[in-house]
Amino acid sequence: MSALVANARWELLRWVRSRRIFLLVIPLLAGPIGSAIAFLYFRHVQANGTVLTNGTALLLGLFVTGGLSAMVTLDLAALSEGEELSRRSHLLSLSLPQSRAEVLGGRLLLVLGSTLAIFAVAGALVWPIASLVVPVQPTDPAALFPPFHLYEGILALLFFLGASTVTASIITRSASEALVAGVLAGVVTASAAGYLTYLHQITMVFPAVLLVVGAVALGWAFTRFEALDT
Amino acid sequence: MISGGVISRTDPPGGVAGAEAFALEGVSKRYGDVQALNEVTFSVREGEAVGYLGPNGAGKTTTLKLLSGLSRPTAGHLRLSGSDPILERRKALSSVGVLVETPGTLPYLKGSDLLEHIARVKGIPAKEVPTALSRAVGLMDVREAVDRPMGGLSTGQLRRVLLAGALMGDPHVLVLDEPTMGLDPAARADLRAVLRALRKEGRTIFLSTHLLEDVEAVCGRVLFLRGGRLQGDESVTHGALDPSAVLPRVLRCRSVQPVDLSRVQGALPPCTVMEVDVEMLPDQTFRLRFRGDEPRQAELVESLVRAGLHISRAEPEVPDLASRYLRYVGREEAT
Repeated sequence: MSALVANARWELLRWVRSRRIFLLVIPLLAGPIGSAIAFLYFRHVQANGTVLTNGTALLLGLFVTGGLSAMVTLDLAALSEGEELSRRSHLLSLSLPQSRAEVLGGRLLLVLGSTLAIFAVAGALVWPIASLVVPVQPTDPAALFPPFHLYEGILALLFFLGASTVTASIITRSASEALVAGVLAGVVTASAAGYLTYLHQITMVFPAVLLVVGAVALGWAFTRFEALDT
Repeated sequence: MISGGVISRTDPPGGVAGAEAFALEGVSKRYGDVQALNEVTFSVREGEAVGYLGPNGAGKTTTLKLLSGLSRPTAGHLRLSGSDPILERRKALSSVGVLVETPGTLPYLKGSDLLEHIARVKGIPAKEVPTALSRAVGLMDVREAVDRPMGGLSTGQLRRVLLAGALMGDPHVLVLDEPTMGLDPAARADLRAVLRALRKEGRTIFLSTHLLEDVEAVCGRVLFLRGGRLQGDESVTHGALDPSAVLPRVLRCRSVQPVDLSRVQGALPPCTVMEVDVEMLPDQTFRLRFRGDEPRQAELVESLVRAGLHISRAEPEVPDLASRYLRYVGREEAT
């Protein structure tokens, strides 16, 4: 347990010293603020005939915040192990008296925990902002899908992206290649989600599948990391 | 006894007789088509300082990686502090300080960040961390360097910070790979002095290096490795530890009465005359060069005495470490 905490602390120290920690501010500030700007823009356009409902505004805001959170998740996940492996500083950390599961677990605890938590907070802030800028009208048509489902879906997507990027970093031993792999995974997922939405067949099964695939990827990452031969 | 890369020995050199610090038994390591280590067997006892010599690609770093849990053997077993460094990583590595290759460092981190992290992982209580850190940086003389980002340190400073990391927590066993690499002559001398002092404190030191001077300055025992096979196991100062090792040997003898070449040759057993090279020296002294084990050496002295030569002194001449290195390892690069 102490090694797990020590590694989470080590990861946090790396974020602080490299100033990477400020990345977490992006979804927290730019998500809600960017959403508010988008709502105001659409409200302005609304005068020319476009109708922005509260539900659609929520979806828009969650997409903006989720996109920014995904970017930060990809970056932090890729650098977590990828940076050490590409710089060969794992020769230090992996020769210390600690299990490799504790090394990876401690770091992932911070990476996935903080990015998911930041989106959870930033995404939740979209609700009051949307209600303020685009109040609910009794005549509003239903949104494309329930906003809260999208909120949950994005949390699953972030978990999936983080897990797949970390796995890629262990396989490639490179942060940059892991980042590319993570972006590709995001593109494929977004395309699949878009296509299912177009077919009106997107359900909560989709984020559930992302969670399962992410969990499998993490399991694979731990196995590969344990067997990593330097 | 040397057989198929396996060296077995019974008594440690210099009277060191601690418990086993670590051991390799028939350890092999293969990377694809490359056989990096081939059935290597040896053990090191607590308190020993052992040099590990060999050319590039001989398998030195591979051995150290196996010992420090960074790599798994393809065959064979390792024990470090009685535990398997892969299966019981925490137990095996808890009292070991490791520096393998030149690990990359994260340039934005300070040396003190790294040392504090090592202290935490090694389980040093929080209130004792400043003392442990102070001792390690003091030994390596990097008090100022540890407070600067590692990306701004010179190669030598960084090396010393990494060595301070290996010394965190007063490890009983130090496994060091080319520790003096990148250090200036003064820093190199300082480090050798530190390692000698640690040895005097009873710590086990396993030193992989290209520099014979490092081994001579620090170690009591030396292992020679070539092509992934162990070629020799000797005392640094006294030569072969194994009396049954068949080696080129030199015996310097002094006779009480005047002696000449034909007399010496005549005193040798008939079947060995062609195998023993006799060199006459001033002061009734002569040198016998031959290839064989210690019993063979005793046999030669005995035959001289039996032939009526009054031998007042017969002592083996141990070649310097460089000569022994060339004898075991040769000039060619290992494959």
